[in-house]
Parts: sequence; structure tokens; C-alpha cells
Amino acid sequence: MVTLTIDGKEVQVPKGTTILDAAAQLGITIPTLCWLKKVSTTGACRICIVDIAGVDRPMTACNTPVKEGISVTTSTPALEKTRKKTLELMLVNHPLDCPVCDAAGECDLQDSCYSLKVDKNSYGADLERLPIRYDWKLLESDPNRCILCEKCVKVCREIVGREAIEVVDRGDNTIIDTMTREGLDCDFCGNCIGACPTGTLISKPFKFRGRPWTFDVTPGICAFCSSGCEVEYHTKDGRVERVTSADNSFNRGNLCINGRFGYAAFNSPERLTSPLIKSATGRLEKASWDQALEAAATGLKNRAAVSGDAVAGIGSPRVTNEESYLFQKFLRGALGSNNIDSEARLGYFSAQVTQWEMLGYSGGTFAMDAIEKATAVIVVGADLKAESAGFAYRAIQAATKNDAKLVLAGSRASSMNKFANAFLQCTPGSEAWLAAGLNKAIVAEGLASTAGLTGLDSLKASLDALSFERITELTGISEAALRGAAALACSGGRAAVIYGADVIRSADSRNAVAGVVNLALLTGAVTEAGAGIYPLDEKNNTQGMLDMGVCPEYLPGYHTYARAAASFSSAWHATVPAVPGKDLFQIIDAIEAGQITALYVMGSDPLQFMPNRTRVLNALKKLELLVVQDLFLTDTAQLAHIVLPAASGAEKGGSFTSVDNRVQCFAAALTPAGNSRTDGHILQALHSLVSPQTTVTGQTPDALHHEITALTGLYSEVCDHDGCKMGRVKNRTEAFVCLPLAPLAPPAGARPFALTIAPMLHHNGSMTTRSNNNLRVAGEASVFLSREDAATLGITAGDALTITSDNGSVSLKAEPSEQLQRGALFIPAHFSAAAVTVLTNSAAFPQYVSLSKG
Amino acid sequence: MAQVVFSTWGGNTVDNRKVSGEPQAVSYRLPVAFDGQRPLRAFMGWDGIILFDKDVDVPAMTAEYMKRVQTLYCCGKCTPGKKGTKVLMDLFQNVLAGKATDADLDTVEDLAELLKNCKCTLCQSATVPVFDAVKHYRPAFQAYLAPECRPKEEESAARYIHKITAPCMDKCPSHIDIPKYIEAIKNYQMDVSLATIRENMPLAAVCGRVCPHPCETACRRKNVDDAINIMVLKRTASDYERLHNVTPALTPKPRKAKSVGIVGAGPAGLAAAYYLALEGYPCTIYETLPEGFGGGMVAVGIPAYRMPREILQRDIDIIQSVGVEIVYNCRVGTDISLAELKQKHNAVFIAPGAHTSKPMGVAGEEKGYKGFLTGGINFLRDAYLGKPTGMGKKVVVVGGGNTAIDCVRVALREGAEVSCLVYRRSRKEMPADVWEVDGADEEGVKFEFQVLPTRIIVNEKDEVTGVECVRMALGEPDASGRRRPEPMPGSEFVIECDTVIPAIGQDMDLSFIPPDMGIDITKWNTVVTKYLPLVDAAGKDLKDSMGNPLSRTLMTDCEGVFAGGDAEIGPLTVVACVGNAHRAAAVIQRWLEEGQAYLSEQDIFDDVLTYLGVYDKGEQVPWLDSADRANQKEIHGAARAAKGNYREVELGFSDSTAQAEADRCLRCYRMAMVVV
Repeated sequence: MVTLTIDGKEVQVPKGTTILDAAAQLGITIPTLCWLKKVSTTGACRICIVDIAGVDRPMTACNTPVKEGISVTTSTPALEKTRKKTLELMLVNHPLDCPVCDAAGECDLQDSCYSLKVDKNSYGADLERLPIRYDWKLLESDPNRCILCEKCVKVCREIVGREAIEVVDRGDNTIIDTMTREGLDCDFCGNCIGACPTGTLISKPFKFRGRPWTFDVTPGICAFCSSGCEVEYHTKDGRVERVTSADNSFNRGNLCINGRFGYAAFNSPERLTSPLIKSATGRLEKASWDQALEAAATGLKNRAAVSGDAVAGIGSPRVTNEESYLFQKFLRGALGSNNIDSEARLGYFSAQVTQWEMLGYSGGTFAMDAIEKATAVIVVGADLKAESAGFAYRAIQAATKNDAKLVLAGSRASSMNKFANAFLQCTPGSEAWLAAGLNKAIVAEGLASTAGLTGLDSLKASLDALSFERITELTGISEAALRGAAALACSGGRAAVIYGADVIRSADSRNAVAGVVNLALLTGAVTEAGAGIYPLDEKNNTQGMLDMGVCPEYLPGYHTYARAAASFSSAWHATVPAVPGKDLFQIIDAIEAGQITALYVMGSDPLQFMPNRTRVLNALKKLELLVVQDLFLTDTAQLAHIVLPAASGAEKGGSFTSVDNRVQCFAAALTPAGNSRTDGHILQALHSLVSPQTTVTGQTPDALHHEITALTGLYSEVCDHDGCKMGRVKNRTEAFVCLPLAPLAPPAGARPFALTIAPMLHHNGSMTTRSNNNLRVAGEASVFLSREDAATLGITAGDALTITSDNGSVSLKAEPSEQLQRGALFIPAHFSAAAVTVLTNSAAFPQYVSLSKG
Repeated sequence: MAQVVFSTWGGNTVDNRKVSGEPQAVSYRLPVAFDGQRPLRAFMGWDGIILFDKDVDVPAMTAEYMKRVQTLYCCGKCTPGKKGTKVLMDLFQNVLAGKATDADLDTVEDLAELLKNCKCTLCQSATVPVFDAVKHYRPAFQAYLAPECRPKEEESAARYIHKITAPCMDKCPSHIDIPKYIEAIKNYQMDVSLATIRENMPLAAVCGRVCPHPCETACRRKNVDDAINIMVLKRTASDYERLHNVTPALTPKPRKAKSVGIVGAGPAGLAAAYYLALEGYPCTIYETLPEGFGGGMVAVGIPAYRMPREILQRDIDIIQSVGVEIVYNCRVGTDISLAELKQKHNAVFIAPGAHTSKPMGVAGEEKGYKGFLTGGINFLRDAYLGKPTGMGKKVVVVGGGNTAIDCVRVALREGAEVSCLVYRRSRKEMPADVWEVDGADEEGVKFEFQVLPTRIIVNEKDEVTGVECVRMALGEPDASGRRRPEPMPGSEFVIECDTVIPAIGQDMDLSFIPPDMGIDITKWNTVVTKYLPLVDAAGKDLKDSMGNPLSRTLMTDCEGVFAGGDAEIGPLTVVACVGNAHRAAAVIQRWLEEGQAYLSEQDIFDDVLTYLGVYDKGEQVPWLDSADRANQKEIHGAARAAKGNYREVELGFSDSTAQAEADRCLRCYRMAMVVV
């Protein structure tokens, strides 16, 4: 500790603390303009100057570490005069277009000039206006307003890892621009806008939408990916006009394109604002809520009356925990059906069953900020930014600021590769072999952390049965590379393991997931001294949805029917069937077989995400009753008999559980658009219409939370909803069980190209394809292929390509990419118009296809 | 003799403008003619202005200086610098245009004060000469304000040449843009940092490890507390690329027809080849040693525990990747003659290095005793090549330089039971780097200081059994300023040993240069190259620190044959050889393209500044000394020198340590300008 005096007051701070932070500890505020806590210091503005006794010049407080015994003075007439003159210099030729400047009212320069009473300027220079960048997507840059604080550049480089913008040119012409001075090609996360203290970098969609002080600002939790970022909805006249995030939030104000710009989906003119009922002519026509609810309730009730097994429900990873709970309670308690599932069936659910078997919990070990403190981060089969950008930002912090080694493994390269110490690029489909190879290398190098592990011997025996030669043959990765990566993964002793879609949806996902969890066990990642394991999912509340029992196998809290059906029945004054229901695929089978005649789909578009689109389409058409509850008239909704318009993530309160098991509560920022209602509201109405005797009707949020907590046993406490930051804390038990690995030989594809359909950087689910902002950056699906294949086949960007599988074919534009290897294809999953699932035969990837021009 | 008309340099005002009697005598370390021809009329820089010619238009010079600072170098990354120099630039332009007022000139003093708060020294130091100019030549500025008094136009023909520098950059013989590469590390841009280093230093991994880092002796942060760890930061940037498996994006210009033949794949040969190849010239290096032993003295002279071979090889591979061919096992003079080389290529660059040992001058040395080795350089080379070294178990190494230290430390790793260093002066006078001496000490090397070997003692089989020594006392200081050690009569004693390795110094073997090619050799056995006739005010030739002419074009007296590295400079350092070869590459390119081997104004300015000195160890640098210098970790304990253990001893920085160390840099850029 270092003791020093600031303005006569003594303070003790750790060595290395800056004078600015030490002063803050005393409650002394030193003015700053360029200082931003989350990035490295810049020292550009020179406003934070202080005097230090014995040092013959003022020092900048923001980047000067303290020293034992120094005496600091933060304000003297001379310092104030210098600050004022520095601001006068800053204002030389600064455009005084505050009346139309986006930042007016929330401009740090304005505030600084005001507080230092800068009302005249002693300096002047020839006026040369710099051109304003109007040509960038989503962002506009007026360099004339720039004070060169470099916050945007540093956030882009140090947080987002993109380096899309830089300080360019010299002297008074120095501006923030792309290195090439051409168009902006970046993540379009807008974190630079968030960091800009002036009106230099502004959001185009927000421009002229209103003065900052005229909005209602409501804290919320982002309803796009599984990172669970804290956001602020700025609303006016029933619309979200911008989304920001505070620097003191868990995510430090950092968002991605979806979080910052995806809100346009909420304002979309395509939103459903009225219930629809299919008329006799087969057209969906507007109806009143009473008509629609009555029709849905009666239809479902009548079919359930024949047999609960005749109805099924598909839930949503988008809705709140409370809504998911109400959804399954409605299906189980009111309709007597356990035929409940969701898109988590495509991979995340079974991956979490495996993880639960091995670790005793699903989801992440710790809150994701633990990744920043890791000494090694191992990412398997994930494109972090595309699947859950918050994890990418944490991994970047670990790798660049905290000396963590970064090991990337998977078939596709990603924007994280520039930070990687090792990249193990495997043949698509060989993820289970890759994971086994890493297991084997760690054991072979004698690096395995073995304390407390059960099943280690059988794992080792199973690894002995796999030769490095065979692993290399199937993955294309050498033994030396595996051993090198093993050494990196174990360096420092505090590993974090992250796994994503290419593991969770790989052909042999059971072995792939078990191999990755083994990796977390062998590296000690899941111990208290480790930095955790984290499964990724693309959507905001997949983890919470499963916690709430939206699956046929488990009641809320992962209770089995055998153990808890009776207690749930009693609590709900209902009879919950005591046997597991049908899963997503079995539901389709049962519809085809005529066993299921009514389907209730909430916040989900199975026609868009399920494999074998043609088959699913025919099945859905066969239903006697299809009720779809959604924000948009999705592909599935177009087939519905009854459509119930639902509310967006900004229009409801509740809680979301991110994949790292943070349960975060939030209140609604808006009332539901038009005549739409929240899913919870609709569910309660339906429930009371179908089964008025249960306790659902008019249940307060607190009573609902109490019920969930009591029945699930998932949460250690219930938040009070008032100013809560972290929401509820999840209970968990721990196990450390290694599973033996016996990866299956990858199937030999009859067709030459290995296709993966997965999330891409600029979208999240299909929701953001309703956002004009996201569409402006990425407007349609294309097929990505390696540059080598493109060259061989004579394909250039934009060429039309036909992709053909045994199931069907689609035509898309080509996009050569250096992230793919020869023989690999990638299509983003988001765009329903592309209907790419006509190609697929199962949820696993890769799927083997042919490629032809035209 | 050039007369100083006026000067404020270094804070001392000398005003000979209106003296009636004898002008004040003052001299500066500057040539009277910038390039040996054009008289140096004025010099303007961070420490003031110096006028040698009374007719220099001071306002025009001042305006030009500020314009160049603002438009060419001001980084814009701090408010006073970005805006202050803009205000000043426009002010002086307005003066020249007659649009300013006398009161405007008062702003100069105000801004000079305000710019003391700049982030770095570039803009701040630029206000120093500008302020001096306005203060002492105010009437000249005022004259511009009144149309009728404006000077005649002829002054605008004055020729200005400027140079950006920094104390560290200047001191680095390769003139690497050190503040820039450090700032990039501070900003988490390791790739930018390494690209910056490569602009002047293709052997970043090498100079990040084994450079004696003269830059750090000229680091202004030293005036606050300790120098920035410039060398290890360079290593960090280089290691980062390697540890992230990055292949550097180096794109040579389109291949040209003319080719260059190079003698020796040492630092000089490799550097010249790298820069010429980037310009599109195919280069072929002829190397005596076999494949896998490229790198010259770095490979066979610097032990692997200091410079791991695979890391050296990576630098060589990168150099080769831009279009450099290395023909190994090819000794020029034996396998191919220099004349043939000249015929085969359009230009030849001779950089054979200094691979022979100097004799130590002791009785018995010439008799071929068993156990008396031929020299330190040979011993290190044999050890590295895996050849028998002839070393026994008890080793005495004679010498005080880095080679001697390398020998005693390698002797341990080759299995010596006793490794002893004998040096005729004291420990603190050893030319070897302090950290190398400490490293040897830690590994268990014995030292005998102030001891002179006088005789080799052998047994009947002519095997070395010891070395007779005499103790030395310090006498009067010699030419180098060090007190000359003198033998103390009667102090003779014997050190028992079976091996004696003289490591007194290196020498060049230039026997491959045929006498009929017109290439001159100095009495110090270095190759003579052409130079500019730079003289100081007293008419004395300007020399560099090695005693060579200050500004050399590096072309020998034989047209088209150039020379560099140790064989041209005299045995020195990797960084000196690289700097010298980089210049040679530029001159060779000019010669190939224009038929003339000449130095650019920037080359000359480099030399002029080096001669003048950019670093001022007496400068008071007000700064809070609250961030300590970071030093790299190393493996400790004698086991690191166990037999066969050539593992790297120094471990470099973690990235975060490097970033914090980089943040200590004061970024001491400054601009010099001359009027010729």
C-alpha cells in the first residue's frame, strides 16, 4: 500500500493506483475528458492535471501512478487557468452546432466548458472544415466535433478487438477514421458511439429521433444473445429509439450490434398488433382478444379432453423465466400434457444433460467475468462473437490484458483468431475426435489435474484406445499441435473452457460435449481455482427456459416426474402426467401419425429452424389446431389457425438467465405494441379459460417468484425486484465425473462439401432479420466458402450458387471467406427467406452437399 | 571559419549580431557545410536556434519550422499539441502574409507556456526555438507586419531540411523509431510495433535479446528514474508474433532485373538483403557456414542460452521469405571469387564479419600447445557447430569483453568443472555488459581481476597445465581515460588449468579481397569506403565513435562493390551492423537506379544529429518517478549452466508487463531543421 496526501487529506491505495483513482477514493473529483475506466489511459485531453509537490510541472492524474509520501493538489488558480486555456484550445474551430448536435445535453465537452466557465476564446486559427462521413452504415462521423480523446479507438481495439477505426493523419487534420479512409467494415457494435463524449460518432438510426432528455430511460436486460448484457431502453411515444449501456454495468457498457441496434425489430411495422383467426376461406383475419383467446382455449381444451397427449407445446428461448414457467404450467397443469419442447432440442438441451451428468449443473460455472482472470482460455467449436458476443469481449480481455493463453479449436476460424496462441482447425464433423485428442494430449503431457475426479481411469483407458495417428487422420491436426495446445491450456493453472454450436450440434455431440467437459475437468477449469466452463447458446434465455422445465423430460428445476409429479400436481391443483412427454422430433412424428392434433407454439418458428423443412411444413399443415403466439407473422404463424400477438423483450418485465447462470430481473420499458400482449399475460388468460381452478389467475409477480422458488429449488434467494442488480442466485450441486470417450467415425459424405448452418456476427436468431438496422449491415443469407475452393471453382463474391442435398436445394450468393477451410461451407441460420433448412436432414452438422454455379 | 551570429542553443544566449569587438567564441558539434558542400546557415531545434549566417530570414524559418511540426509530425493526440501548434502555425503564416498584429506575437509566449502540458515533447520542444526566435528577432517579425518594411523575396529561396528524432532513436545505430514502437505496445498493437521495428531492424528477435541497447543509455526517462527497457519491449513485440503463429505480411515490390550478391549471412548481410529484396532486388547471400548456421556472429558467436537458434532462424526465414537466397557452404575467395561475384551480380555487398581471434601476446602462445585454444570466437563457433573444441575440465578464459564472458559461460555448458575468467583491469572496467558478467557470476564462474597472463605452463607432453599470471596495479590514465594497469613485480602466481582460451578481441579475415580490385583496407584491417568531407568549424574531420569518417556512402573504391558490417566499421554490435547495412542497401539501390552512390539528406542528417548529440544527460526532466522500470525475469541458479543446458536464461516480459513498461515512455520526439 502507498500512502499519499491529496488536497491535504491522507489516503492509502495499492501500488500502481493512479492519482485520479486515489482522489476518487477520497471523494475528490478531478475533471477529465479522455479518461475511460475500461480502456488503457490516454492522457490526451490534459484536463486532469494536478500539482505534485517537488515536481516542476503539472502531472496528469489519470495516468500517473501514486508514489509514497507525495502531496497532490488538485486545484489551484494556475491549474484552473491552464485547464480553462486547454479547453479554449479544444474549442478552436470546434463547430458550435449544438442545436442540431446529437450529443447536446449529454456532451462531456459541453459539460466541461460549462463547469470551467469557458465563455470566451483567446486563441484562433484558420478555419478548415473536415468532411463529415455520411457514407458509413449505422454510424455517422463528424470529425470537426472530435476532441481526439481516442475512447472510440480504444474501445474498438481493446474491448471489441476489431481495430476498425484509428487515429489518422497529422496535426489539426488528425481525425478518427478507418485506416484506409474508405468505408467502415466492422462489427457495428456501436460501442464507439457509446464511448464518444461528443457528437462526433453518432448513431444514424437515432439521429433526429429526439433530444436525449426527452426519453424515458429504463434499465433492462438485452433480449438477444445469451450474454445477458445490461441495457438501457430509451423510449418515447411507444417506441424504443435507442439502446445504451452504462459503463458501471456488468458488461461495462459494451454491447454488440444486436444489443445496440437490434431494437429496430421491436419498432418494426411488421409487428403483429392484433390477434388473427383463420377464416373459413383460409385467410388470417383480425379478431378481438376475447375471440382469439376463447377459440384457442376451447380448441386446446377440447383436444386435451380427448387425451392430454393430443396436444403439444413448443416454447421459446426468448421469453422470460416466468413466462416459460407459465407456459409449461399451462401445458402440464391445464392441458395435462408433457409434450413440451423447444429449439434447445437441436443441441443445447442434450449437451446440458451430459454436462449435468458430469458436473452436477448445466450452464456456466461462474459469472462470465471469471473468464477475464483466466490464465488460459480454450474455445472449442464456437464463433464467440456470432454466438454470444459478451464472451468474446471477456476472452479478449483475458488474452490481451491479463496474459491468458488463448486456444481456439474447431473447424471454422473466427474473428478471435488474431488473439489465439494456437488454432487447431479440425475437419468439419471431427469435433469429438478433436476433443478426445486434447484430452489425450493433456494426459500424455502429464498435465492433467486429477484431484477429486471420478472416472479418470476409464477415461484414460478409452483414450489409450485412440491413437494420435487416428486422431490426426480424422481431425487433420498433428500430435505436436495437440500437445502444444495442451501445454497452453494448462499454463498458469486457471483455465476457462467455452464451447459452442459446432460442438453442441456436431455429428457426435455426445462424445464432443463429454470430451469438452472432460477438458474442463482435466484442466481444473471447473474447480474453485479455475475459471469455469461455459456452454454457449445463441439466444437470451435458453438456459432459463430449460431451468423452467420447458422440455418433455423434466419438471421445472430438472425434477423428474417420478420424484416430483405429485408435488407439482398438488401445488397446481392439477394432475401432471407422471411420464415424460414427446420431444420436438417426436412431436412432429406424432403429428404425422395423427396422434397430436393441436400444437401451441410460443415465440418460436419451428418451420424456420427445424431440419427438413419440407417434412415439417407438411406436418404442420396436418394439424387440426395450430396456435402461434409471436411478434411477427413467421413462417409457422402463416400456417396457424389462431395467431396471438406478443410483446417484445422491451415491453415486459421478468427475468432472464444467461448461459453463465446469471438470473437478472428487469421491468418493462414500454407497454406492448399496438394491441399485443405479453406472453405471460396471454398464458395466464389462456390458463384461466382452460382451467379456472388453479392458482394462476391474477398472480402477482412476487407470488409467482415465490411459487417458482419453492417448487424448483433452483434459487437460493428471491430478489425483491427493487433496484436489484443481479437477480436471483442459482443453487447448485457439484460433481466431477469424467466420461470415457469413444468418438464415432465421422460419416463419409456422399456429397463433397461439408455444410454448417450457424449464427453469424451481425444477427441473432431470426429476430434481428426484422431489424432494418441489422439488415443494413447484413441483408440476406449467402453461402461462405474457402478462398481456395472459390479460386478452384472460379467463383467470386456475389456469384449465384446452388447448394444441393439429398433433401432439396437452395440458391444463394457466394461469399469467399478466409475463415473456412477447403471443402467447408457455411450459411448463416438467420434468414427465413433463404429457407436453407430444406437442405438438412437432421440437426447435426456438417451436412454434406454439392455445389454448382448458377 | 564559420562564425556563430546568434545562438540560444542549450539555454545559453550568444549574440554576436552587433558586437563591435571580438565576437563571442562559441562552437557546436556541427559541420560547417551540411553535406560537405552547402554551408550550414542555421540550425533550429528542441534546444534553441543557432545562426551562422546573419542573412537568414528568421521569421520565415520559424514559420516553416512550425508548419512542418504541425502538418508532418504533430500526432494530434493531445489538446495543446494538436491545437496549440495549429494556432502557432497559422499565426506565423499570417505574419508572413502581413495579416497578423504585433499583439498576436504575444500569444507565442503564452502558448509556449501552455504547451509545457503537452503529452510528449514534440510540440512542446518545438515551442522552444520558436519562442527564442520571436523573443530575439521580434523586429524581424514586426517588419513583416508593415508592408513597406517586408524583406525582399530572395530569402524564400532558402532551403530547409528537417529531421524528426528522439534521443533513443538517435543513439540507436539502426535509428529504429523507438517511441513509435513503444507507443504501439502501450496501445496493445504488437503488430504495429513489430512492423515499426522492421522498418529499421529485420532481426527484431535478435536485437530484442542480445543488443547492448545504446538507446537505453540515451533514454530521457533516465533523467527521472531509470531508462525504459527498450530492448525487452522489442523482444516482446517479436515474441508476440511468434507466439501467435503469425506470418508477417511483407510484400516486396515487383521483382527487378538487377541483382545483388552479398558476402556473409551475418546481421549486415541479412539486413542489406532484406531491404534490397523488399525493393524488388533479388539478393543472393554467400555464406561460408553450412545450412542451419546462418546469422553470422549471432549464430556462432552468441551462445544459444542468450539467443535460441530456432528464434534466430525464424528471423532469417522471414528475411528469406521476401526474396533472399542464401548459398551455404560457400566461402567467397575459395568456392567463388569476389571478381566472379561482381561479374554475376550488378552490385556486391561485402559483409564477412570478424570471425578470427586476436592473439593475446603471451609467451608460448604460438607453440601449438594442447589445451591452448586458438581463440574465443573459434571456441564458441566450434561448440555451436558441435565440433571438438579441445576444451578440458579446468578452463581459463583471458579477456574482459562479451566474448570472454560467453566463453566462460559456454565452457560450463560444455562440461568444464572450473571456468575462470582472467582480466587485467577491475570488474567495473570490463567492456562486457554488466548483466552478462553478473550472469556468469551466478553460474559459478571464477574471476581473477587485475591479473595479466604472462606465460603458458605446459608439461613434457606440451599439454597446458597452467597459466602464469602477474597482478596488476593501476597507473596513470591512458588515452581512453581509464587508468593503465601495470604489472606489480614479484606478484607472479600460477592458475592451474588444462585449457586456456584467449578472448582478447576479434579480427577480420579479408584475404578473399584480391589486391587488384582496387579495394582499400585500413590499418585496422577494415574495408575503406567513400565518405563526405564533413569538417567542424576548426577544420577538423568529423569522425564517428569508432574513429571512422562520420558520413560514409559505404561504396568501396571499386565501383559497384560496397562494404558493411564489422568488416567496414570494425568489430561492433548487431545493431550497428544492421544500421550500417540498411544504409548500404539504400545507397546500393540509388547506385543501381541512378548510377550514383550517394547519401540522402536524411542519411546525412542522421549523422549530423548523432555527432551533435540529441540526448542531454544534464537535462532536468520534471516528472513523477512513480513507475519503476520493469526487468525481465530469468532462470536462476547454477543449474541453468549445467552441461548441455543451452535453454534460454532470460524470459522476456509478459504482455501486460510490457504494456505497463511501455506506458513509462516519455515519447521524446523532437524536430531539427537546418537552413542551407
